[in-house]
Parts: sequence; C-alpha cells; structure tokens
Amino acid sequence: MIGQSIVLAAEVPFPPSVEDFYLPSILPWGEHNSYWFTKITALLWITVAAIIIFFLATYRKPQLVPTKKQWIAESIYGFVRNNIAVDMLGKRGINFAPYLTTLFVFILLMNFWAIVPFAQISPNSHIAFPAILAVISYVMFIYIGMKHHGGLKYFKHALIPPAPWFILPLLIPIEFFSTFLVRPFSLAVRLFANMFAGHMLLLVFTLGGFAMLNANVWFAPFSVVSWVMTIALTFLEFLVICLQAYVFTVLTASYVQGALADEH
Amino acid sequence: MTGQEPPTKPSGDDDQPPPDTGMGMTAVAYLISGMLVWGAIGLLVDHWVGTKGIFAGIGAVVGIGGGVYLIVRRLGA
Repeated sequence: MIGQSIVLAAEVPFPPSVEDFYLPSILPWGEHNSYWFTKITALLWITVAAIIIFFLATYRKPQLVPTKKQWIAESIYGFVRNNIAVDMLGKRGINFAPYLTTLFVFILLMNFWAIVPFAQISPNSHIAFPAILAVISYVMFIYIGMKHHGGLKYFKHALIPPAPWFILPLLIPIEFFSTFLVRPFSLAVRLFANMFAGHMLLLVFTLGGFAMLNANVWFAPFSVVSWVMTIALTFLEFLVICLQAYVFTVLTASYVQGALADEH
Repeated sequence: MTGQEPPTKPSGDDDQPPPDTGMGMTAVAYLISGMLVWGAIGLLVDHWVGTKGIFAGIGAVVGIGGGVYLIVRRLGA
C-alpha cells in the first residue's frame, strides 16, 4: 500500500496550480488546443438532465397523498417558495418561486460535484458559470424594476435616495456603483471564489499528503494527518456548497425585492 | 404544488422574521462602494492637481460618510 503510494507520489505535482482546473479534452480525445467537451461540460449536462428528469418524473402524476419522490420534490420547491420567495417578496414571491427554485437546485447540484467521488470538481469553480447566472439575475431584477416602476422611473427610484438635495451628488455615484456594478460582480465572484477555494483546499491537502510521503520517510505519519484533514474539509465543503446555493438564491430574491419596493 | 396557496404566516414553521441576509450585504456594499467611488474620484483629482494622495484620502473618508448616511436612510427603520 505504501509502496504503491510512493509510486503514485512520484507523479503527483505539488503545489497545485490554476492549471489543475483546466481538465483534458474528452472530445476530441486528448487534444490540446480544441476543447469541445471536457469533464466540466459532462458534469453540466448531467446536472441539467438530472434536474429535468427528476422533476418531470416526480411530478408527472401528482397524487394527493404524495409518494416518496413527489414528497422530496415538493419539499425542495416548498422550501424555496415559502422560506425564500414568499418570505422576502410577500405574495408576489409565488411568481418568482419557479425561477428561484431552478436557480437553487441548479447551483446546489453544480456545487455538489465538488465532493462527489471521481467527479471532485465543481463546474462553478470556473467563473463563466457563476457569471452567466449573475447576469441572468442582474438583467431580471432591472427588467422587473423597469416593468414595475415604468421605464426610466425605476432608475430614478433606484439611484435617488430620500435625502436633501445638496447631499445627492455625493450619494448618487455610491448608489450607482453599489446597485449596478457591485451586485452582479459580487454575486458571481462569491460563488466562484468559494468553489475555487474549496477545490484548491482539497487539492492541497490530498496532494500534500503524497508530497510529504515522497519527501521524507519521517513525514509519512503527517501525510496521514493531511488525508484525515481532507476528509474533514470535505464535510466543511458540503456546508459551503449548501450555503452558497442558498445565499445566491436569497440575494437574487433580495435584489428583486429591492426592484419591486415602493417609496417609503 | 404550484397551485397550492402559501401558508398565511410567511414562513410556515415558526414566527421568525424574514431572513435579513440581503440587508447585511447591502449595508456592506454601501460602505465599501462609498469608499471606493469617492476614493477613486479623489485619486483622479490627485492626478489632475498633482498632489500625492491627499484627495484620495479625503474622498475615501467622505465616501464612507456617504455610505453610512445611505445605510441610515435606506435600511434604517
């Protein structure tokens, strides 16, 4: 076992780098400058397919007394609708519940690949995925605001706080920056950075174990400590996965709430 | 599940107030963006006038003041 590990360790690169996030191409196989289909793509498709099939299958013939699968689907939908959408948006929240549920389930499953054995990387650790999700939420809350307040009145409502006129020149740039520039950026970066750091952390402790084993025979006990840490961090990662999916959904809901808010 | 009415109490299980995660984030965003926006404007003024950062400092302080004011007006009860 240890001999095998040492053979493995000889090939393990340490420390891990950003290069470890760029996985080899699957289709065309082994290419180095054409990436049409990688593990990330595969995980994305599996996620989308799993969500569609699960919700179609569980809700095809709804029963008054739900079956086990229907109960799970209803619990997920009910959680997002009652505890996020209706809590934050009031009765209008029901209109947004389907979108918020889709967002929540999608991010949760995409994040979850980070700790699934053999998958071990979340597509969300590439900024493109959180960025697109953030752009969707961003366009949506602006569109809803414009629809609710009527065109440019929304921007007047969003940019001009209730304050005396002489202080407005100071406040309007701050409002613009925090509402229209920081929001999409922080939404995307929060999710991306959490998944990126999680993957990096697991890599450091896993590969670090091999590196220590490789370096010196006296370090071998510490490599075991390193792997135990990996297992502990996997549980921490699970917490982060659920939390980030929840935070992204709650923040989207809160931005919609801000766009729908009336003068007070 | 789509057609079912939501419970009358917003969160079905207890009487907790709604989650305030959004509010906390908004407050932090106001503070930081106040500092950044007016700090950056101050930096531009520094370049223009030829000073070495005094306006950036003033801008950051004024901006954070504006951020606090915004938090009080927008989020205060």
